[in-house]
Amino acid sequence: MSSDNQEKNEQQYSLNDDRRVRTLSPGALVIRRFLRNRVAVTGLVILVFMFIFSFIGGMITPYKEDQLFYRYEYQNKQYAGAKENTELRYVEASEGSFPKVAQAKFVIARKTKKPKFDVKKSTYFVEPEGEEFYAIYEQKKGAKELVAFATYDIVSSAHSDQEASFELQFETSRALAAGEKSFTLDGKEYTVDEGGIVSLDGEPAAYASRYLVQPIMKDVELSQGFREQLLQAIGEDADEFVYADENGEESTYTLTYDAGTSSYKIMQAVATKKFDTYSAPSRAHWLGTDRNGMDMLTRLMYGGRVSLYIGFIVVIIETLLGVALGGLSGFAGGWVDQVIMRTVDVFYCIPSLPIIIILGAAMDAMRVDPQIRMLYLMLILGFLGWPGVARLVRGQILSLREQEFMTAAEATGIRASRRIFRHLIPNVIPQLIVTMTMSLGSTILTEATLSFLGLGVKFPFASWGNIINDVNDTFVLTNYWFIWIPAGVCLLLTVLAFNLVGDGLRDAFDPKMKR
Amino acid sequence: MEQSKSDFILEVKDLKKYFPIKGGMLNRVVGQVKAVDGVTFNLKRGTTMGLVGESGCGKTTTGRTILRLTGEKTGGQVLFEGKEVYDLSSKEMRRMRTKMQIIFQDPFSSLSPRLPVGEIIGEAVREHGLVSKAEYEDYVDKVMDECGLQPFHKTRYPHEFSGGQRQRICIARALALNPDFVVCDEPVSALDVSIQAQIINLLRQLQEQRGLSYLFISHDLSVVEHISDSVGVMYLGNLVEYGDKKDIFARPLHPYTQALFSAIPVPDPTAAKNRIVLEGSIPSPANPPSGCKFHTRCRYCTARCKEEVPVQKEVEPGHYVVCHRF
Repeated sequence: MSSDNQEKNEQQYSLNDDRRVRTLSPGALVIRRFLRNRVAVTGLVILVFMFIFSFIGGMITPYKEDQLFYRYEYQNKQYAGAKENTELRYVEASEGSFPKVAQAKFVIARKTKKPKFDVKKSTYFVEPEGEEFYAIYEQKKGAKELVAFATYDIVSSAHSDQEASFELQFETSRALAAGEKSFTLDGKEYTVDEGGIVSLDGEPAAYASRYLVQPIMKDVELSQGFREQLLQAIGEDADEFVYADENGEESTYTLTYDAGTSSYKIMQAVATKKFDTYSAPSRAHWLGTDRNGMDMLTRLMYGGRVSLYIGFIVVIIETLLGVALGGLSGFAGGWVDQVIMRTVDVFYCIPSLPIIIILGAAMDAMRVDPQIRMLYLMLILGFLGWPGVARLVRGQILSLREQEFMTAAEATGIRASRRIFRHLIPNVIPQLIVTMTMSLGSTILTEATLSFLGLGVKFPFASWGNIINDVNDTFVLTNYWFIWIPAGVCLLLTVLAFNLVGDGLRDAFDPKMKR
Repeated sequence: MEQSKSDFILEVKDLKKYFPIKGGMLNRVVGQVKAVDGVTFNLKRGTTMGLVGESGCGKTTTGRTILRLTGEKTGGQVLFEGKEVYDLSSKEMRRMRTKMQIIFQDPFSSLSPRLPVGEIIGEAVREHGLVSKAEYEDYVDKVMDECGLQPFHKTRYPHEFSGGQRQRICIARALALNPDFVVCDEPVSALDVSIQAQIINLLRQLQEQRGLSYLFISHDLSVVEHISDSVGVMYLGNLVEYGDKKDIFARPLHPYTQALFSAIPVPDPTAAKNRIVLEGSIPSPANPPSGCKFHTRCRYCTARCKEEVPVQKEVEPGHYVVCHRF
């Protein structure tokens, strides 16, 4: 019984494998320490968001990176003029049937209210119908013949291909002057309404109006429909009206009355298709559009993609070169080390900004394709950036090489290649990861600076730098916040996040940090 | 015939290792640190030789030079099993490394921090193909067990262990290769006393089981007295006295040895203290004194000592001293 108990106790207190504390590899410990660092995790979250925003956002967005948007802008163009007819107009039955001399005599006769007047050998009779209509007959061999009439109204045919016949004009004007609602011509019954529209069997046949409508531009022919609409608008004292022409294109016309000439000017609002530049945020464009009329949000996504791409590729180039040359330098030593380290010193002396500016200008001059230019930019930045990594790796390898575990590995007869890859490299990687992360942030910043200066990523490709480059005057800066604030914030957040993550990683890799 | 010829597993003859001092504009060699400057001794199979001396006297360099871990030697011979270690090709050397191992002083820096313990111990075993794949795990377990480690330690990382456990890992790594000869480079000096005893007992126990030979480097004379069969005393790159432990501890002959041994604390407050205090400090090995290197601090210094370099003399059978007094 007691031995049984003892066994139980032993079982309870023994450290069987399943009871032991779970062991963690150094990598797992690093992750754990990293995740415990709230600031670094915030940075990581920002980065994840930026990646989703840039890479997945670009796929989701309905617009393309370089898709242009247009808007219609209306411009008033002088289209036609309408003049109120204040003088009597003479309509002749036939060409020359009522000559100018007769017209002058008629004016005198009208004033003196004489029913007849003579011109040379001819005698004319005037039959007024109220104040505004005068039918003029000529005495010809016993019969009076209608030669003309004078009125204020203008009658024009409803059919644009034919002119209104004299008889129709006459009858219409007479009917209007007499206030009649209908007349008969050639056995057909015409009706006249108040607006001056003459209809035959319900179809408009002619229009009578006090206004003289003329196009301002010679090549424009005013359609009857337009006249109709215009006269109606004048009649209603409206300021504007909408008219759709034969092609169905609707335009808005504006009327302005000039009292001096008692005429109307008709302006046509002409729609011009323009790039939708600097439009404010709306439902279609959440962050508005830029100066080229491209969707800002989409540009921002693609810009992030480009910035991150460039950042990563530059850092990869930097790291590959740096690790290879720094590693070789540290491992080989001797004159190899000397040559590589002096090269590094030389690289440190190269003023990178002037070099990049010159190369940028050279590429401008050679009209390098923007895509290839981007590639060159990555290569240039990568080639200028490796010395730092090389120094770091060399220093690390020099110190690690003297560590006793390296001697121990040598003493146990492990191959040189295995010593490098199993013992040396894993111990360099932490520092490398930290530097790479930090370097990502600064590379993105450099790229943005270059793009801002117009030397980096070029239109049509977007990058956060060249988005901000749109802001090249204070007007844009103060009026179009949506152009530069989002890109600036993205840039700031990303670089900040990279630095936070880098700091977090450095702390996490530091074995002196408590678990 | 060749094997039976010597019962010495290791013969070191006039071993020299100088490190260049570089300087000047063109980074030329302007001098040499004579870290090991003529060391001669033999190590019998299955025995332990203690190597003592003050800091910087070249004990560690001697141990590492024997194992060909400091690049090329400057002069002399290292015969392991009768073969010159420095004549081996790199391939042969790699094979030979399984036979001669080293345990480092600092168990913290001598374990790769990014490898699990099982891998640290077993990596070289696999590398040399000492056991078949099927036996590999069991073999590592067995070695770990011999060195007082539990099987579940295999997946852990060095940072999870105490100093004593780490030193056991170092020992296990060395012994996993089944060596004949192990250089113990101050294996206990970084540990506290109770752990020191454990490790030393472990080393002795393993020596009995496997018939190992040790070169036990230490500056702790009591430890050396405890573990060694023979003792060598080094001063400024030279082996000044060398012989059986009993002879050396009973009758230290070289003035330096006498001074060194007089510093051993005696656990008896009433005992008469006969401390020999050496004057001055140890000279620079880059610019050692002429003649006998010890003459600047020697009580018995004569004009001859200043000019003539003494040679090793067998004063008693198996007891060698480098001094003009004998």
